[in-house]
Amino acid sequence: MALLEVNGLVKHFVAERSLLGRARAHVKAVDGVSFSLEAGKTLALVGESGCGKSTVSRLVLRLIEPDAGSVQFDGRDLLSLDADALRKFRREAQIIFQDPYASLNPRMTVAQILTEPLALHDLVPPAQRRERVAEILRLVGLEPRLARRYPHEFSGGQRQRIAIARALAVQPKLIICDEPVSALDVSIRSQILNLLRELQDRLGLAYIFVSHDLAVVKHIADRVAVMNLGCIVEEADADKLFAQPRHPYSRALLSAIPLPQPHAKRAKVVLQGEIPSALNPPSGCRFHTRCPFVIDRCRAEAPALVADGAGHATACHRVSELPSADTILPATAGFSPALAKLVAAFSRKTEGANPAGVGIQSARPTTT
Amino acid sequence: MSPLIEIRDLRIRFHGDDGRITHAVDSVDLSVANGATLGLVGESGCGKSVTSLAIMGLLPKQTTEITGAIRFDGFDLLKTPDQTLRDLRGNRLAMIFQEPMTSLNPSFTIGDQIIETILRHRGGSRKSARERAIELLRRVHIPSPERRIDEYPHKLSGGMRQRVMIAMALACDPQLLIADEPTTALDVTLQAQILELMRELKAASGAAIILITHDLGVVAEVCDEVAVMYAGEIVERAPVEELFSVPQHPYTIGLLGSIPRLDHRAEQLATIEGMVPNMAQPPAGCRFAARCPFVLEACTKAPPPLIAVSPGHVSRCIRTPLELLVS
Repeated sequence: MALLEVNGLVKHFVAERSLLGRARAHVKAVDGVSFSLEAGKTLALVGESGCGKSTVSRLVLRLIEPDAGSVQFDGRDLLSLDADALRKFRREAQIIFQDPYASLNPRMTVAQILTEPLALHDLVPPAQRRERVAEILRLVGLEPRLARRYPHEFSGGQRQRIAIARALAVQPKLIICDEPVSALDVSIRSQILNLLRELQDRLGLAYIFVSHDLAVVKHIADRVAVMNLGCIVEEADADKLFAQPRHPYSRALLSAIPLPQPHAKRAKVVLQGEIPSALNPPSGCRFHTRCPFVIDRCRAEAPALVADGAGHATACHRVSELPSADTILPATAGFSPALAKLVAAFSRKTEGANPAGVGIQSARPTTT
Repeated sequence: MSPLIEIRDLRIRFHGDDGRITHAVDSVDLSVANGATLGLVGESGCGKSVTSLAIMGLLPKQTTEITGAIRFDGFDLLKTPDQTLRDLRGNRLAMIFQEPMTSLNPSFTIGDQIIETILRHRGGSRKSARERAIELLRRVHIPSPERRIDEYPHKLSGGMRQRVMIAMALACDPQLLIADEPTTALDVTLQAQILELMRELKAASGAAIILITHDLGVVAEVCDEVAVMYAGEIVERAPVEELFSVPQHPYTIGLLGSIPRLDHRAEQLATIEGMVPNMAQPPAGCRFAARCPFVLEACTKAPPPLIAVSPGHVSRCIRTPLELLVS
């Protein structure tokens, strides 16, 4: 059975009220989203700003209440839980946010930040908490002696490690990662991605990975759901989605990513026009205003998300008639053998450094 | 042909309140020819934005010490009087910033802001300036520019605002356009549109572009030449194909290995361990030595020179050529 089953999730925010407080306009942030996630796996939610991916992640944790739909976590119906049961559930599902500068309390030391969840859920007797904090810090590649420091003494990458440590403190089954590496520099980004993957292997964590960056998603996800204006337009296993994207929107997203490969030979789908507003989404298929394959039917009738036998689901009326996506896919361009060996030198050093796959060196605070 | 802009031995130091001196940029040499695009790549704090602000003369004079030379079309921008610099800026030198919301004035319409630039540098009537502004908005593909010109920035989406910034930068047909992370705040689909637009405009106007970015994908798509910066220095400079096929500085290699790629999946991404050195006390030797897997004792003794690898390709690493280390 899946760890998480989400069915027909809907969330409309009120955008405008009349004088008497009646809702006059709604932002349809999430409009009928369903998916499931197996324990120990990673589902990526991808899409542009405003597509509803972050709202979905908050609905799944019941940080905001859905208007309709159901969320089953480990066999329990999340939406029927009372306050007590909800708090117990929070032990099992945690979230990491995009901005490590804003998501840690600046007035608390790292030890306090990590002890709070332990105390709140009464997981570890007070006498053993310090030891447990040290253990969690080592798990994310930070030295235990850093526990006495405050967040401002750390770099962005280290703060994101602390945020991960806080999520891990309660030994959750599911962690929602909401753009966890978008605010980080490229070399730090790779450290955090490696860490997330390693923690998943060691602890059997399931991730919902919310991101706009398909290259990052390709690196980390088992399954991918592409969202556009509150709806999932395509969902498939990651290798299938990247090898054979079907929905015109997925294709456009893929082809829009600049490749670190000068003069790469591939056709580009540059979408014209702006992202329509979720306040007043287009009729029919919500992608029709930007779709290069649009026909009359798309304007009138919203396509359903239909899966083929292999679990590759697409919401497009024309899915069977679309041309092959081969031309927009990047030709594989691994490094030359010499360059691959040189790059490997940057990974080897890491492996020897410590088991978490991250150097203790990087645990030095910026201000010493 | 002499380059349009030539930077020689640029050094920038910031004097902090507490008497600390930060070496933001050290011995930077760069040049860009007419019609060429140079990518300036590096991570936060490497000095790439500071270099561009120095070109534009936008660094605070009281606290900044700048030495070296920035030659642009007969001027040394570092010695040019402010009045002349004001005539050049927005006219022959233009800049696009990362955050289009904070770089537009929210209390004036976008038309007012473009027209102001045109009137300041070109003069003429307000009516003709307005016509030119509409024409510029059309050039950057803003739909119904006649109507949009009277709108305030908050009415426009992020991608639209960045187009307005580009239109404003192009108002006086600049010879040099500096774009500082122009697409970083945008969604990928909009980024693709803006990059396409920049390519189009470059082909049409023949302006030189300095593109500052941390995204190696963007560099590969639009640049002719790339300079990689680390801790205030240029550590490698090469034509774009060479930088991606035979990079010669360990930092460049670490960067290339650490990006997740669509075109092949690595089991584990490379990581660059350690931290950027404290630039108040830069290390005596190579600034990357503490994080480099190929470090020798000699690396920590003296600062490495830029070593020529092939025509147009230099690397600040005494172990160049690096292929020999792994063969």
